[in-house]
Amino acid sequence: MKSFIEPNELARDSRFIRQDNVAATILSTLPDDVDAVVEALERLDPMIEKGVRGTEAEPLYEEYGPGFALVTLNEPLDPTSPSAGTRLALRMHGIFVGELQALEGAGRSLWDFPDAPWEFKMNMARQCWDETRHVQIYEKLLEHVGGYAGMFPESTFLFECACSDDPALRVAGVNRGLEGLACDVFRDMIRYAEAIGDETMRQAVDYVLADELTHVRFGSDWVKEFTKGDPERYEKAQEFRRKVDKQFSFGGARSEREDAAIPIAWEDRREAGFTEQELDELREITADGPSRDTMREAARQLRERHHARRAASAERASA
Amino acid sequence: MSEPRLYPGTGRDERTTFAPYSAFDIPADLRELHGRYDVEATARRVRNFRYAEEWMMMIMGGWVATIPELPVKTGLGKIIWECAQAANVLGERLPELRCGRKAVTASESSNEGFAGVIREIAAPDRPDQTIEKIAGVFDVLKPHLIEAYERHSRETDQIADAPTIELLDDIVRRTRGHVTWGKDVLDRICDTEGLRERRRQRGDALREMLTACGGVTGEL
Repeated sequence: MKSFIEPNELARDSRFIRQDNVAATILSTLPDDVDAVVEALERLDPMIEKGVRGTEAEPLYEEYGPGFALVTLNEPLDPTSPSAGTRLALRMHGIFVGELQALEGAGRSLWDFPDAPWEFKMNMARQCWDETRHVQIYEKLLEHVGGYAGMFPESTFLFECACSDDPALRVAGVNRGLEGLACDVFRDMIRYAEAIGDETMRQAVDYVLADELTHVRFGSDWVKEFTKGDPERYEKAQEFRRKVDKQFSFGGARSEREDAAIPIAWEDRREAGFTEQELDELREITADGPSRDTMREAARQLRERHHARRAASAERASA
Repeated sequence: MSEPRLYPGTGRDERTTFAPYSAFDIPADLRELHGRYDVEATARRVRNFRYAEEWMMMIMGGWVATIPELPVKTGLGKIIWECAQAANVLGERLPELRCGRKAVTASESSNEGFAGVIREIAAPDRPDQTIEKIAGVFDVLKPHLIEAYERHSRETDQIADAPTIELLDDIVRRTRGHVTWGKDVLDRICDTEGLRERRRQRGDALREMLTACGGVTGEL
């Protein structure tokens, strides 16, 4: 078996459809400018359309065009919204495949770094079991909210961003970047479950969140251990984590801003071992990006253009 | 009236009044001293066992990403952790067998042949090779390890090496569960004669290699 696989080598059964990761990556680089957002997503339109074909996201694409991700990803979960069910299933599915990739990332750390210290291997083996339970939990929660595995396309963006070939960077990316994002998302899910009085969801996600804090601690410990006496490598690991944090902020959708779809779980992150300096950096990194108003206006324009294209195409076909 | 004496003194008339029985008589202790392996041999075998458990953990960790069947991926997650725990307790036994405090992470293949078996088990990495992957570990290596662990437990000094017997008992119990899981997976996946043949061929080839090298301890 070879070491260091590419994200497109992650094996899936026939239910799953893969989404190109470019869209998720581009979102993290967009400025707070409606025209820039519209232009970027228009360019990605053919790829987005191809990625949603045959999934439950296809009707969303037909309704909103290439900006459907802006409508679903950048709006907070609101139980009173008419699209709350779809948005919830979309988020659950995103978490489900994210957990799957976290399981694969932890497993690959065992194979890719055979000479790592034994305690590191023990931590990664334990993380494999934890991530396994998370996959099982989210598969059941997905069904609980009326969804199913493979209903939306899967982006392997999390695995791609986090899985470096250097173990110090790998744990910085997976255990601190990815698992840190999980802390934010799961705290938000718990708030949502409390709001709708769903005790099953609240309790299950609360257990998962407890595990994630442990995984962040693994990451904090191993970044220190792998970079001990090597300040240059330590800085490289920190820089990698900052880069991952930026990409996982989805253009400010996960941030401290008032209009953030996913607020940062400051207390959970403190408990997990993030330092105040790291939290300040996160605050700064995630502050950029399009505001929700910008995203909404871009989504409106993209929807108009999409329907205009559809109408023109129907006209041509009938002529 | 004086209290009965609880502890013997130094003189003849200072003995206690308790009947002279040994705790070993109730129930009768049928174990006998002396086993096939001395301290050094047991330490070597524990290092061999640890080598197998550690490599299974790493191999299955690598496979998780390359296996398309979701229940197989998630089933492996727990088994990886249990192999890690097995390797860990085996390692913790080594300093107790005069191998030094740092020996807790010592793994050792019995010979180059067994290292070759492990390399061959790890070889399949394509997503269409779930049968070869699972058959290698669950049809061949784990059943072989159960045999080797049970043999060690039977043949070693039952009293002096009881800590090794205890930990192997626990590992065997879990490993039996793994073998049952692997068999269920393979029975389900191998649903045509062609696929069953692939499973048989993989098992036969690896068993032949195992026999040739003497298995995990090199002493089959």
